[in-house]
Amino acid sequence: MRVLILGYRGNPYCGGQGIYIYNLSRELAKLGVTVDVMVGPPYPDPLEEWATVYKIENLNIWSIKTKDIPGEKLARVFSPWNFVDYILTRLHMFPEMETFSFRAFFALEKILKHKRYDIIHDIQSLGWATVPMKGYGIPIVTTVHHPLTKDREADLQRNWGFWDKTTTILFYPLVMQGFVIRRVDRVITSFMEGVDELKKAFRIKKERVSVVYNGMDVDMFQNTGEPREENALLFVGNTEDTKKGLVYLFETMTLLPEYVTLTIVDDGPPKKLTAGDLIKKYNIGHRVKFTGKVSYEQLVSLYSRKTILVMSSLFEGFGLPAVEAMSCQTPVVVTTSGSLKEVVSPDCGILVPPQDPVAMKDAVMKLLKNKKMREKMGKNGRKWAVENFSWPVAAKNTLEVYKDVIKEYRSRR
Amino acid sequence: MPRAKIWGFLAVFLSAALFGLSIFSVFILNYHDFTIFNSVNLNELSTMTFYSVSIPLAAVAIFVLCTGFWIGWIILTIKVVPPMPEIVEKKDNSKIKAVFLCLITVSLAVLMIYGVFIRNFWALAVPALVISAVILGAVFWVGMAIITTRSTLVINKK
Repeated sequence: MRVLILGYRGNPYCGGQGIYIYNLSRELAKLGVTVDVMVGPPYPDPLEEWATVYKIENLNIWSIKTKDIPGEKLARVFSPWNFVDYILTRLHMFPEMETFSFRAFFALEKILKHKRYDIIHDIQSLGWATVPMKGYGIPIVTTVHHPLTKDREADLQRNWGFWDKTTTILFYPLVMQGFVIRRVDRVITSFMEGVDELKKAFRIKKERVSVVYNGMDVDMFQNTGEPREENALLFVGNTEDTKKGLVYLFETMTLLPEYVTLTIVDDGPPKKLTAGDLIKKYNIGHRVKFTGKVSYEQLVSLYSRKTILVMSSLFEGFGLPAVEAMSCQTPVVVTTSGSLKEVVSPDCGILVPPQDPVAMKDAVMKLLKNKKMREKMGKNGRKWAVENFSWPVAAKNTLEVYKDVIKEYRSRR
Repeated sequence: MPRAKIWGFLAVFLSAALFGLSIFSVFILNYHDFTIFNSVNLNELSTMTFYSVSIPLAAVAIFVLCTGFWIGWIILTIKVVPPMPEIVEKKDNSKIKAVFLCLITVSLAVLMIYGVFIRNFWALAVPALVISAVILGAVFWVGMAIITTRSTLVINKK
């Protein structure tokens, strides 16, 4: 089978897309699939060992003021798609996905003169030009971890005033995504509830959505054997993301005894202010520590040393930190929001309702008081993560979806 | 002079000249007696010529106005509970502004369609000028940035 994977961003160190493209392409290649990857900047780590990579240009200027755009990029603004990108970014839109899709459409036209693909796998770009791509006679599947409507809602919650709200509404290309997603052959999402979420957000029929759990590197995320700290909670995630429900986690901290500490794996003030302001407000600064950006090795070490991972999310499209923690034999206390109730089995951690600091406090205290329970949950968590969330499993399930879509597509023609 | 700077100067001069030309042709060229609201008669154009110009222009204008209306409508109708107490405490009048945005965009859209229907010159000239201003303004702004950006660091004489 020959697959073309499309991704508008390929950074393998941050942002789910790059990690997804890197690992999925590698594991698909191991299963005997010929993989080509068409990707926008930041470009991924070399994939050439197992895939052919086509790099698509993009200036990545959406958050940069014109006078701050580096000289060499400014000189390239006048090429047609870069100019479209430039104008739309000045109007507070995020056009990367749509211009990527047009660039990919024209690049693909050239490639198809000497190559054929059995399927195209778009990684949540869903740009306008994905629709005419169907004219090439190749079925298209797309991966959408969660609908952007969730991100927009979360941003609107944080916005104050007319201008903030206007720029948020302009930023998310929901009309485009809604139009395109209803026209691709299959949508892959990473959790069961995602099927309903996608139906609600974009009116997609349930039978056109397949669920494939995300993968993670279970070999890298293994317990290091370092001694566990006591009464030390860990939070991994973007502190500026309202969906993470940090305000409820901090409220939980005020209800927990003084000796319980919290380590946050992200930047704190002055780089990111939201969490810092809340910490001041709740007067828990002496118990909360920020690590800033950490390497994978440091992250694995943190998972292995801290007592419990906590997630106070209001919505999760997958909940990677919970799976990583379980893979490192760390018990978790998470909310039941989004995918978390599927991703975390009750014998690997405790699930609590979202926006309920008292329930979260009770769950944390229950685990802190019972070392045996923590150890047992840790072992169960490792087994659960390896069986369900390793990349080979994700690639195998994705390949099954490809086969199904191709069969259905060919039977229609 | 580096090639990028030449492009920068070219962009600035070309966009300024083209915009000057569009202002001249819309506001001055046809009005020797300065009775600008009466003198251009689009009824003299053939129906085909008129609609081949007016439909694309009106479509772009209506698209922009619809976007404005859509923004106002979302702000008016979206139901989100702000989790940050400090946001709840602040007085937010964005819904009132959203009502105005909806009213203004609908009025302008109606005016636009009516203007095209009665073949009013300004129903075409105003959107054409605005579209030109956005595109040429962007070219001008990038050109200015290219001209004023230092490509190398200042040499430290010490």
